[in-house]
Amino acid sequence: MTADVLLDVQELQVQFRTERGMVRAVDGLSYSVARGEAVAVVGESGSGKSVGARSLLGLLPKTASITGGQAIFDGNDLVGMPERAMRAIRGRRIGMVFQNAMEAMSPTITLERQLTEHLIWHGVCSKAEARERAIRALGEVGIPEPERRIRMYPFQLSGGMRQRAMIAMATAIEPDLLIADEPTTAVDVTVQRQILELLKAQKERGTGIIMITHDLGVARFFCDTAVVMYAGQVVERGPMAEFIECPAHPYARGLLGSTIDVGDRHRKLSVIPGSPVDVANRPSGCPFRTRCALADADRCTHAQSLESVSPGRVAACWRSHDHV
Amino acid sequence: MNLAVFAVRRVARLVLSLIAVSIIAFGLLQLAPGSFADISNLAAEESSTVTAEMQQRYGDEVPVWQQYLGFMKGALTWDMGPSYKYTGQNVEDIIATSFPVSATLAVVAVIIALCIAIPVGVFSALRQNTPWDYGSMFAVTIWHSLPPYLVGTFLMLLLSGTWHVLPSRGWSGPENMIMPVIALALGPAAVMTRYVRSSVLETLREEYVTAAFAKGGARRLVIRRYVLRNSLIPLVTVAGPVLANLMTGTVFIEWIFGIPGLGQYFTDAAASRDMPLLMGTTLFFAVILMVTNLVVDLLYGFLDPRIRATAGAR
Repeated sequence: MTADVLLDVQELQVQFRTERGMVRAVDGLSYSVARGEAVAVVGESGSGKSVGARSLLGLLPKTASITGGQAIFDGNDLVGMPERAMRAIRGRRIGMVFQNAMEAMSPTITLERQLTEHLIWHGVCSKAEARERAIRALGEVGIPEPERRIRMYPFQLSGGMRQRAMIAMATAIEPDLLIADEPTTAVDVTVQRQILELLKAQKERGTGIIMITHDLGVARFFCDTAVVMYAGQVVERGPMAEFIECPAHPYARGLLGSTIDVGDRHRKLSVIPGSPVDVANRPSGCPFRTRCALADADRCTHAQSLESVSPGRVAACWRSHDHV
Repeated sequence: MNLAVFAVRRVARLVLSLIAVSIIAFGLLQLAPGSFADISNLAAEESSTVTAEMQQRYGDEVPVWQQYLGFMKGALTWDMGPSYKYTGQNVEDIIATSFPVSATLAVVAVIIALCIAIPVGVFSALRQNTPWDYGSMFAVTIWHSLPPYLVGTFLMLLLSGTWHVLPSRGWSGPENMIMPVIALALGPAAVMTRYVRSSVLETLREEYVTAAFAKGGARRLVIRRYVLRNSLIPLVTVAGPVLANLMTGTVFIEWIFGIPGLGQYFTDAAASRDMPLLMGTTLFFAVILMVTNLVVDLLYGFLDPRIRATAGAR
């Protein structure tokens, strides 16, 4: 894995300017993605998982800024990269798949234009060839009659087809890295499976994937690495198989316990008490201590750093060794 | 299942609405106090001439519903009879000569309003919360709160009175149009500038704009292809009614600048209970408003593929 690292994110910090002052939405996010590796960034809404990924491409609103850390992609730091250089990477080397294709595609532009325009912007190929590639990409994601459908507008496709067309939009150009921001959240379960298979196929082609999701069931489908975020911080990071086997951080255990597993109907679903902490009012020390069953008044009020719990695996909890 | 079916349905609805409008208007005019003869203090012989003409046309002491049918027959055959006040002129001729004047003013005013609203609105939206944005929105608020007759009078004092560069009144050439059109365009320009600004701001927050940037789109291109297209289509629904409103006559401006438009005749007719002219202009206004709305809907359908595709199905 270390041999062919595509992206190495180190201690990334993102702040938002709000009426209540600066808010640290992402506070020390580190992970790396190799070619053909899929990394799942998992957490509840507001955990900073999406903000962390979007900040890599400079796609955050004006009120947000990266205040620290680095993100080395192919030898260059994406943090602070000039707009021109960044634009050459966006959509070309790093593609992005969004949660809802209905919202992520313009309603007044045909699929053909939306699927081919960036191939032309990036000078990848001619207009005619771009059309061929887009039709091929649509066929690959399982859209029947792609020659006919490419002339349509997004609203003329079914929800599942639209979502697959959006994946084709990101992959027709064959990027090195794909950021998938909750790509299965807005679709029904049968489509969810198709989308995951498509992303898995991309991974097998050697594309690195950052999969942002709140659903561990989705994350474990094909991801190699789990990065669990809570309140803008990484609480646990490690290989997916070991993580699913025995999560080390109490929050990660709660998250896994509340994941529906269709195969096992005897297992009881558990619930994490309380609601996600507001990053603007993050408690001192461990951010999860206000909801944690194991919280200890002495130990947990101190900041918890990521400690190794087993080879390749870290967790930010002083009790994590108890469980591994 | 196509645009033609949609258009036919809309035209059918338009005809029904017109019948309703005509009945309501006719009924209300019957209830209005006073008559033409009372109000205008006509000399006896003049009054009798008109009355005689009326009697000849509709018959003496005909029931109200027959009067209505008689008028509607005239309206449909474009023969609405003579005006009471403008003796010797037929209602349809008055409309035919004065409407083009009002319509020209209105169309030019709306074009100018759009030429102000689109650039200024887009400009302030793209520079939201900067001095540029605050400055242009402040200017918009100022010119929005200036009534057209005030602007018209001011322009006339300045350009005709002090500098003598433009004729103050009349309708003989394009130079007569400049001041009234400016006075008329300012209000709609302000309304539409605000509309464009908020529409662009809303579109900028759409995920598809982020997605276009994520594909590596240059700012200019993304703005043009993704933001402007989607935020300006709805402007048609604002510009249409504004145009219809101005086309049906702008009383103050026509009066100040001595322009022989429809607005003057309409108010005159209402004030003097000139029944044929009042009914004629009222119906004509209704037709103009409805046709404009129809055109807006068709145009919107043409511009927005979502509506184009579902128009026949509705």
